[in-house]
Amino acid sequence: MDHQITTASDFRSTSIPNLYQLDTLLRCHICKDFLKIPVLTPCGHTFCSLCIREHLNNQPNCPLCLFEFRESLLRSEFLVNEVIQSYTSIRPTLIDALKIQKPIADEDKMPKPQDSSLIELISESENDDSNTADDDLQIVSTSERKPAKRSMTDILPLSSKPSKRTFTMFRSERIKKKPKSNEQMAQCPICQQFYPLKALEKTHLDECLTLQSLGKKSKPPKNFNADLKSQDKETSRPKSKTPETDENFRDEVSHVDKYLNSMAKSEYQRLPKINFTSMNLSQIKQKLMSLGLSTSGTRQNFIKRYNHYEMLWNSNFCDSLEPVDESELKRQLLSWDVSHNKPPQNTNNNGGISKLMMMKSSGKSSSYRKLLENFKNDKFNRKGWIVMFQKDFSRLIKEAKLKIKTSSPKTSDLTEQIHEEVHEGKMQGVQVTDEQQMEEGQEIILSEKQEVNEKTFQMKI
Amino acid sequence: MAGQEGACVTKRLQNELLQLLCSTTRSISAFPEDDNDLTYWTGYVTGPQGTPYSDLKFKISLNFPESYPFHPPKVKFVSPMWHPNVDMSGNICLDILKEKWSAVYNVETILLSLQSLLGEPNNRSPLNAVAAELWDRDMEEYKKKVLACYEEIEDC
Repeated sequence: MDHQITTASDFRSTSIPNLYQLDTLLRCHICKDFLKIPVLTPCGHTFCSLCIREHLNNQPNCPLCLFEFRESLLRSEFLVNEVIQSYTSIRPTLIDALKIQKPIADEDKMPKPQDSSLIELISESENDDSNTADDDLQIVSTSERKPAKRSMTDILPLSSKPSKRTFTMFRSERIKKKPKSNEQMAQCPICQQFYPLKALEKTHLDECLTLQSLGKKSKPPKNFNADLKSQDKETSRPKSKTPETDENFRDEVSHVDKYLNSMAKSEYQRLPKINFTSMNLSQIKQKLMSLGLSTSGTRQNFIKRYNHYEMLWNSNFCDSLEPVDESELKRQLLSWDVSHNKPPQNTNNNGGISKLMMMKSSGKSSSYRKLLENFKNDKFNRKGWIVMFQKDFSRLIKEAKLKIKTSSPKTSDLTEQIHEEVHEGKMQGVQVTDEQQMEEGQEIILSEKQEVNEKTFQMKI
Repeated sequence: MAGQEGACVTKRLQNELLQLLCSTTRSISAFPEDDNDLTYWTGYVTGPQGTPYSDLKFKISLNFPESYPFHPPKVKFVSPMWHPNVDMSGNICLDILKEKWSAVYNVETILLSLQSLLGEPNNRSPLNAVAAELWDRDMEEYKKKVLACYEEIEDC
């Protein structure tokens, strides 16, 4: 849905910092993102379906209030789902529209403010010029950010003088449900016209945005097609119910319709929780096979795989309004499998060089790490190591030889350095005796190295 | 999008980071150690006023597992710490980091709990029995011990 990381604090720099709270409320407390397929717990809290199911796999209680309950008691919240979808779709434009920007002083277009709070502010700052009144307003509205930033719930400003004024401002904004004909004017970021702030937020922005998007391209809302499909299937409601003239509100209507048409799907049965302790391996295997799941790995892998699939399945078919089909679930399971159920590593011993060669071609760094894991114990795969770094070894030796040939008084240092390099290239400080144990194909390298050693030795003397 | 736990960890941690950066609580802070690895964080906690730890700043390491937030991060004091519920290598005995962990906790709540732990040690299950005993007996002496153990943080 939204791949960008957003936080509720995005609203702190807007003209309605209080939207911070709304934004926070629409987020899941587990993933801190907007609720995806929200479900209600018996204790009245709401989480993403997958988040809470995953949590319940670990401990059977509500993470907020620790109320104990079973996973089968989760109920999907269709309304919240649509609220969030509709909210997230307008959120970026909402933030843009509410960004505090210096109002362009254009007195002619601006009706004079007659209203209480603003006038108070202006008179306080003993200005008669309405141009500077604009500035004053600007100052107030920016300083409003600071107190709001102090903590999540506490938006009451400090008691210093300037913030007292802020407070008035704040209050006047908060109570602006009362019909007051004249108040702060703001410029619409889309059509550049000035409107009363209230009107701008409530209606004008939506209109302007839909108009604009229609002007460019009348893009159908994301879920519109699915919506139509479900309408066809489930209700006798004619499609033409949405008249052409309603196009401006198409997006809005789509979410409302989706909510009205939402109903729990019962084609698929929920997958039960299984107590694996009493089952033997082949029984578990059969269970997985009957669901068409992979049966690779260990018993532990099987159990984890089933549990994860059960979670995906139940979240998808019990909670989601728009369930994906089984194959998509299997794909999700597979990608989860890849990152979680790694096949047991047996890189050593019998695996031998051929395996290493394969690893080398696929990705040197990972196999390098695998080898390094056993570096200090006796399982260490010497041959593999030699093969892997053969190129580097021969290159280093070549370089060393070259440098020795063109030797100068500085050679001792150089060879020393090279010597170290060779060591490092091989295996961070392994002893020469160890190296000598390496047989086959390394003899040349070794002899050459000894040459280097001897030369270094001579130089030192 | 869903089901990718690894992605879920980093996404959530990014979100928390953003939130912490926006927060104005002065006495706590935290930041990932490395730009490429979001699972290791370093945090700083300032001791609460009116406690033997007031105005002292402590460094903390947080290591988030793959299964975060379903499992708690490993939290340790990096700075030397003389406290009933902290052992000599910095391990912390705090219920919310163990069995009382909940997926709704985050870095901020962890650091705040650590901060309050400084002022209100749980002396019933001490890791540092000497400190626990001294806390109940002689506050002056306790404070001296704390200060003797304390090391100023330079790099911050």
